Amino acid sequence: MHKFKNNTLTFWMFLAPVLFAFFMVVIIPFFVGAFYSLTDWNATARAGATLSFVGLQNFTDSFTDPAFIYSFGFTTIYTILNVMVINIVAIAVALAVTSKLRLRNAYRMGFFVPYLIGGLILGYLWQFIFNQAIPSIGESIGLFSALAEPDNYMLSRIPTSMIALVIVGSWQYAGYIMMIYVAAIEGVPQELYEAARIDGAGNWQQFRNITVPMIAQAFTITMFLTLVNSFKQFDVNYSLTAGGPATVFMDESIFGTELLAMNIYNTAFVGNDLAAGQARAVVFFVVIVAFSLIQVSYNKRKETEM
Amino acid sequence: MKKIVALTLSMLMVAGMAFASGAQEESGITLMQNKPEIDAMLQEYGAAWSEANGIDVTIKSVGGSSGTTLGQQLRADFAAGEMPDIFIIAGIEDYREWEGVILDVSDEQWVDDTSVAFTVDGDVYGYPVSIEGYGMAYNADILEAAGIDPATLTNLDAYRDAFETIDGMKDELGLDSVVSMAASADMGWVTAHHNFNALLSNGLPYGDTSVVEELQAGTVDQERLSQYADWVELLFDYADETVLTTGNYDDQVGAFATERAAFLHQGNWVDPNMESANADFPMGFAPHGSLERDTNGIFVSAPSFYVINSESANIEAAKQFLNDMVYTESGKDFVVNEAGMIPAFSAIDQSPSGQLSQSVQAWNAAGNVYSWNQYQFSGEFRDQTLAPIYNRFATEQIDKQEFMRLMTRAFENNAE
Repeated sequence: MHKFKNNTLTFWMFLAPVLFAFFMVVIIPFFVGAFYSLTDWNATARAGATLSFVGLQNFTDSFTDPAFIYSFGFTTIYTILNVMVINIVAIAVALAVTSKLRLRNAYRMGFFVPYLIGGLILGYLWQFIFNQAIPSIGESIGLFSALAEPDNYMLSRIPTSMIALVIVGSWQYAGYIMMIYVAAIEGVPQELYEAARIDGAGNWQQFRNITVPMIAQAFTITMFLTLVNSFKQFDVNYSLTAGGPATVFMDESIFGTELLAMNIYNTAFVGNDLAAGQARAVVFFVVIVAFSLIQVSYNKRKETEM
Repeated sequence: MKKIVALTLSMLMVAGMAFASGAQEESGITLMQNKPEIDAMLQEYGAAWSEANGIDVTIKSVGGSSGTTLGQQLRADFAAGEMPDIFIIAGIEDYREWEGVILDVSDEQWVDDTSVAFTVDGDVYGYPVSIEGYGMAYNADILEAAGIDPATLTNLDAYRDAFETIDGMKDELGLDSVVSMAASADMGWVTAHHNFNALLSNGLPYGDTSVVEELQAGTVDQERLSQYADWVELLFDYADETVLTTGNYDDQVGAFATERAAFLHQGNWVDPNMESANADFPMGFAPHGSLERDTNGIFVSAPSFYVINSESANIEAAKQFLNDMVYTESGKDFVVNEAGMIPAFSAIDQSPSGQLSQSVQAWNAAGNVYSWNQYQFSGEFRDQTLAPIYNRFATEQIDKQEFMRLMTRAFENNAE
């Protein structure tokens, strides 16, 4: 009995710093934030003195704001594209670097390195590629002269800007997702492949019927990570397109490539309307949780127990 | 066990005393400013001043192209009870936020030596940090080669002719485009702040906010707007399309610095860029041509002001620090030569070395200046409402008529 009490004490003592940090930086700010979303908080120095409740005003305002609705739709399309591209690329390179390729460890490292570069820097780097490098290819090689046309710049049109965002997002994140797939693929017992080969299964059949079901756990994780990360994309968006070019939606001129996170940021810190930004962040949170729950429960059902 | 408890307690007490004494120590002044580019010079000047006067000076610089803004830092410091003794306000919006802690400095000596101090109802509160100005920066060599006298560029028609002439000689002059203009999403401050101000203040007496007030009431003078829209269209038409629609600050300024554009729509803050690009051709500012009638002046303002914290324990030291930047040789030297700023005080007669800064100083000395009225509109209105409209105009999604309609509607919605 005495021993048990001691253990409990030790247990809580070890846990306390983590719990404390978790409460201070996650739980409390979350509820404070949710509270602020119901007020007219606008970042004045004496916020406490003038704060008043406005009910759901911030939420209704958000849902009638064309920029917010547009960015919701834009973010959804971006997320679908990005999740697809990242996972396809990641699984392709994962298969490549787990095959008998020479220098496969060098490739693994190469694919992973972009993940270590900050998104802001990546954005500026790729902005240079899209705005300077690609057009200069067009200028110097006659065959590709169309690339040098100002109208054909990737970042000058909304659909191509979206593709540019997906390219950069995938380039950054596919290497990380690849690592998860690599770990999963290496965990698949070789006997299964041997047995399949004896039965005459081709590469595609082996992939389809052995690899995919066997790495279903990895899919649950990678889908979750890519979904949430695409939804939360901010830094690349901020540095690569800054929201441009503009477009028209519901007869309002708005920025055409503004993802949700950036819309929230702009509402809060450019528009100085912190309460409205907070309300949007709450909506954002609810949507992410809903999407991830659906996705995780769907993927869970597909997992195979060994 | 007891020993450990005693030790812990005594350590806590020592720590507590250290903190307490730290809070009581209030000799010295803290200055917070928002120009990271002059941080090193200001630190050095502050240290020298501190040595000469025996008062500690702490300089904090926040802001720049990214990260925390001065306003956010001030709010945090205010909440923490660590408000600096001298800090920066940009105008009336900031003044209203900090009104409770801003000291009335009407009796200071420097007040008589400047025309751009920050005043509210006749009382002086803000010490102008420097003067900044913008207009159409021109490359004098190119204009001369094209046979254009910059002094004639004072109205829309003059610009139309000049742009057409230069455009026709582009190959001969080695230009990509006539004017270096930017309107991409992250250059909204060029269009929806600086260029927008031409609509608000061009041709009006300094400090006249009549157009601003009309627009804020939702009344739009269509004739003035139409001429302004012509001016915007002219700039967009004669700009390099890549710089205009996808370029960033470096692209825009670079095109002018490397003599690929005859005009640049920027202000004297590009002087350091010109220096680092070794652009030593003669250059200066011409007025904006946003009206059919002559407007012979550029947009000049003191965009930020030092204010003294009225709750500071060292008000006298703070006052002296600001005064010394105007009336001591080392202070003058810091402002003009070290920081390269255009002094806002007549007591400082040196000139900064940058050509565009000198041009601003000359326009200012001649009194041919128009106000910066763009800050009378909220940042949200400029960045979120107007900037996309300019961007659509620049990318030719809309024509002049539609631009005017959208601008008019934006003002009407803003007034509601």
